[in-house]
Amino acid sequence: MVHLTADEKAAVTALWGKVNVDEVGGEALGRLLVVYPWTQRFFDSFGDLSSPDAVMGNAKVKAHGKKVLNSFSDGLKNLDNLKGTFAKLSELHCDKLHVDPENFKLLGNVLVCVLAHHFGKQFTPQGQGAFQKVVAGVANALAHKYH
Amino acid sequence: MLSAQERARVAQVWDLIAGHEASFGAELLLRLFTVYPSTKSYFKHLGFCPDETQLLTHGQRMLEAVGVAVQHMDNLRAALSPLADLHAQVLRVDPSNFPLLIQCFQVVLASHLQGEFTVEMQAAWDKFLTGVAVVLTEKYR
Repeated sequence: MVHLTADEKAAVTALWGKVNVDEVGGEALGRLLVVYPWTQRFFDSFGDLSSPDAVMGNAKVKAHGKKVLNSFSDGLKNLDNLKGTFAKLSELHCDKLHVDPENFKLLGNVLVCVLAHHFGKQFTPQGQGAFQKVVAGVANALAHKYH
Repeated sequence: MLSAQERARVAQVWDLIAGHEASFGAELLLRLFTVYPSTKSYFKHLGFCPDETQLLTHGQRMLEAVGVAVQHMDNLRAALSPLADLHAQVLRVDPSNFPLLIQCFQVVLASHLQGEFTVEMQAAWDKFLTGVAVVLTEKYR
């Protein structure tokens, strides 16, 4: 469970309302694959990931990023029950996808950087604090069903 | 090891920070303390709510050290040796805290540089700062 103060919840809701979820997803996933290239290990079928431009322009990366972020968006509507919200996805990532949960933390951090990149000065320390709590909560929820 | 292109990107970003070490450093520390309150345990001398002057002073010191690292990317170990000694013998900051500082550094860069903060720059800076952290904790044991 993520414990956000009323102010933090308001900050998260306000900022998220201005986010183009479809675009930000692709950007966050793309940046993850470029900044931490070992994460490409999960995306052999995605085609050309040979350069930053190739990654950021890759249609499959964009599509998958959109999917991931829409899921994340669902989490934001259920901050009181992240474990329940992400239970099935957690099982999937463990049993079928075999993704080290460390990757969820990496993606969460990259997502925060993308938000800072988009919002500039509006992305205050308090806003960052609230979002880091949320991404940590989502990462924990996604790791919860691992065995 | 940083490639020539990565070093160029690190230097490019540094040009945008140089001259603003105090304000960047202060914001870096403010974000670190706000987002990861446990990191304040290493800054008892600044108190629970460091004021702007303290943040600016300490922030400047930290960013100036980053500047030294930028000037000596080809020989970080030698250039940062005194700081590595300090961290090993006196400060003893748990290594798990460096990624937290690096995350906040990336956020400061991203929010200030916005459009100029390309993915290539983010990658180069992450690699560079991680290298600095490795050197600073290398003498721990």
